[in-house]
Amino acid sequence: MGGKEISLGEIRQRNTRKVAALFLTPIAILLAVYIVYPIIDTFITSTYQWNGISAAKKFIGIGNWKTLLADSNFWIAFRNNVVIMVLSICIQMPIGLALATFLDFGGKKLTIFKVIWFIPLLMSSVAIGFLFTYALATNGGLVSTVSSWFGGGNIDLLGNPKTALLTVVVVMCWQFTPFYMVYFMAAFTNIPYDVFEAARIDGATRGQYFWKIAFPLLVPSIKSAAILSMVGSLKYFDLVYVMTGGGPGTSTELMATYMYKQSFSTFNMGYGSAIAGGMFILISMVSLITMKILNRNEEA
Amino acid sequence: MGIVYRGCYHLLIINTSGSSYRKQKLQGGKKMKKRMARLTALSMAALMTASLTACGSGGNGGSGGDGSEGSGGSGGDKEITYWNIATEDVDKDIITKAVEEFNSNTESGYTVTSIPTQNDTYKEKLVVAMSSGECPDMYSSWSGGPMFEYIDSGFAQPIDDLFNKSDIKNKLMEAAVAQATYNDHIYAVPYLNVSLAGVFYNKEMFDKYNLKEPETVADLENICETLKKNGITPFALANGSKWTGSMYFMSLAARLGGLEPFQKAVAGEGKFTDECFVQAGEKLQEWVKAGYFPDGVNSLSEDDGQAKQLMYQETAGMLLCGSWYTSTFATDSKEFYEKIGWFPFPAAEASDADSTIQIGTVGDQFISFNCEGDKLAAAFECAEAHLSDEMIDFMTEKGKVPPVQGVEEKVKDPVAKEIVEAANSAPQIQLWYDQYLPPAVATAHLDGLQEVFGLTKTPMEAQEAMQKAMDDYLANKTE
Repeated sequence: MGGKEISLGEIRQRNTRKVAALFLTPIAILLAVYIVYPIIDTFITSTYQWNGISAAKKFIGIGNWKTLLADSNFWIAFRNNVVIMVLSICIQMPIGLALATFLDFGGKKLTIFKVIWFIPLLMSSVAIGFLFTYALATNGGLVSTVSSWFGGGNIDLLGNPKTALLTVVVVMCWQFTPFYMVYFMAAFTNIPYDVFEAARIDGATRGQYFWKIAFPLLVPSIKSAAILSMVGSLKYFDLVYVMTGGGPGTSTELMATYMYKQSFSTFNMGYGSAIAGGMFILISMVSLITMKILNRNEEA
Repeated sequence: MGIVYRGCYHLLIINTSGSSYRKQKLQGGKKMKKRMARLTALSMAALMTASLTACGSGGNGGSGGDGSEGSGGSGGDKEITYWNIATEDVDKDIITKAVEEFNSNTESGYTVTSIPTQNDTYKEKLVVAMSSGECPDMYSSWSGGPMFEYIDSGFAQPIDDLFNKSDIKNKLMEAAVAQATYNDHIYAVPYLNVSLAGVFYNKEMFDKYNLKEPETVADLENICETLKKNGITPFALANGSKWTGSMYFMSLAARLGGLEPFQKAVAGEGKFTDECFVQAGEKLQEWVKAGYFPDGVNSLSEDDGQAKQLMYQETAGMLLCGSWYTSTFATDSKEFYEKIGWFPFPAAEASDADSTIQIGTVGDQFISFNCEGDKLAAAFECAEAHLSDEMIDFMTEKGKVPPVQGVEEKVKDPVAKEIVEAANSAPQIQLWYDQYLPPAVATAHLDGLQEVFGLTKTPMEAQEAMQKAMDDYLANKTE
């Protein structure tokens, strides 16, 4: 065998590799077809001036990208995304954590709250959008009605460029806070009960237990939840599309809604692709930087 | 649905990477930790991409399904696919009847399959179908900018020869044919409805306050004042949908300066900053400040019927919109419908523009053709079937005003009759701006105008933005 002896272990390893390759092929193909290829294609399309339907595309190199850099609407949209991102993290996570803590301390008798609080997450975004458009309607909506009980006039939240974005953020928080609640509840169950018992035996109050023991143990979950929320906010689309369509003016325009409008409503597929590419780069950058910062803090 | 699903998918990825990341932490292996961090980064990148492609090519997946359902664009040899938006009652009955008539009487050997699609997603679906080579053989559109775009991209064939040989040539209103024409060729068959921008008003309310139909814009403003004094909102407008506000703008601009400034601006010979446009915007802001529109006008949604609700509650007196509202009122409430009167937008006293010019669509639905030879002839025959005498009777019975000559005699409804008369006596009928203009310009117009209504932009700023979009469009076009 000329020194080419193969040990049993090696055969085993080779077989494992073969099987692994076999099992991974389907998902690899799926990823390639539905994720990798479209991304590449998006970047290619972004170098053309194309209306999305005609067979003739005109190659314009980085023309779309130049326009994108100078496009104030895109940067307004990006800013709106960042506002949503910051507010989402600042509002959803603390509330989610508070609810989860409450449920964790309360045990089984609070199951009813668990169910009720989880409901918003079960509804489709479009339904929520419609629901809140009615609730916030200027004439006869919930907010206006309450305001008129106290002698105030009608309040126009969604039609006013100053309040529209905040209003949408509030609705988003209503929808997604339960998600973080569940997320943190799961994190709580990862903390062994022994830890709690030990702390109690050592005389820790519930408050001390939470701040000194549970919270530090939850930090990794909080970090990943923050990243989750960040990415979700940066690529957000549905509620805004249903509730305001990006308006009034550009006050609630997001990168994703802007991309959709450019690609499909105004027959500007090439430019729409450039926006998608811009989103891709911006979101990747923001999340990679954030992850880097979070991880560094941990090592220190 | 798609978006929601994708959302979950992301969550899933992050979720798992997050928790395994945590486990690694506990084990404390530094190398492992690094690798995990890198893995997390990679999975982050992967899901980011998923989000983009979702938007970038999400539609494609959908269209594939549609294509196969409809046996594709050029599927069966003897089958003609016909896309339209007739998913609901009246329109559905009309198309079904026309298609059946064609299928049972034709000698061409072809059969037409009608594939109705929800209005909301129709334009997007059509775009996706065209870009993926699944364009239907015949499809209806609203004419204007998007139709010109389809034509320029080669998805609509000129039908001059067929049209000139056909009886519908003498049947259709001239204005209808004009709206189906592009670069001196006829590309579509209009069939469904004549709709003009005009003012619907509550007759009882007008009687109560001794008001009569206005002759001039000043009269109209007096009416508004009277209504306002009596605690009634003069105009029911839901401008969350943006195009609804454009009705007011188009009407004012046409009365102030006629159609010439608009036509010149579109041709690149004039500007959208022409004074008739700016003045129209200024007038609207004056009206907003005077409280002629409902509170929160920019957040009310036309699609949710929030404008007509104000009319039904009788908290608003007038509504300026397309005359399809006649049938909306009639379907919603017979009783309320009895109270409704209509007048075309009144003349501007300071202007010598022809006040019989109208804004509107003469046909509403325009059938275009993406096939050739015998197939085109057969498809055209099917389009003709939409305009047979029997069909015209049927449509008028259903409350439509098909764009054919002499239809005023068939229309019995008094309001609809007035509208047809206005259409007949109009020297020109301009298609809605947002439909007629190139889509990018239309968007600039609608977005700017909404801000004019919200008082966050001056009319001049809005018009400059519109002109800039037009300049960009023309620059690309000539390149």
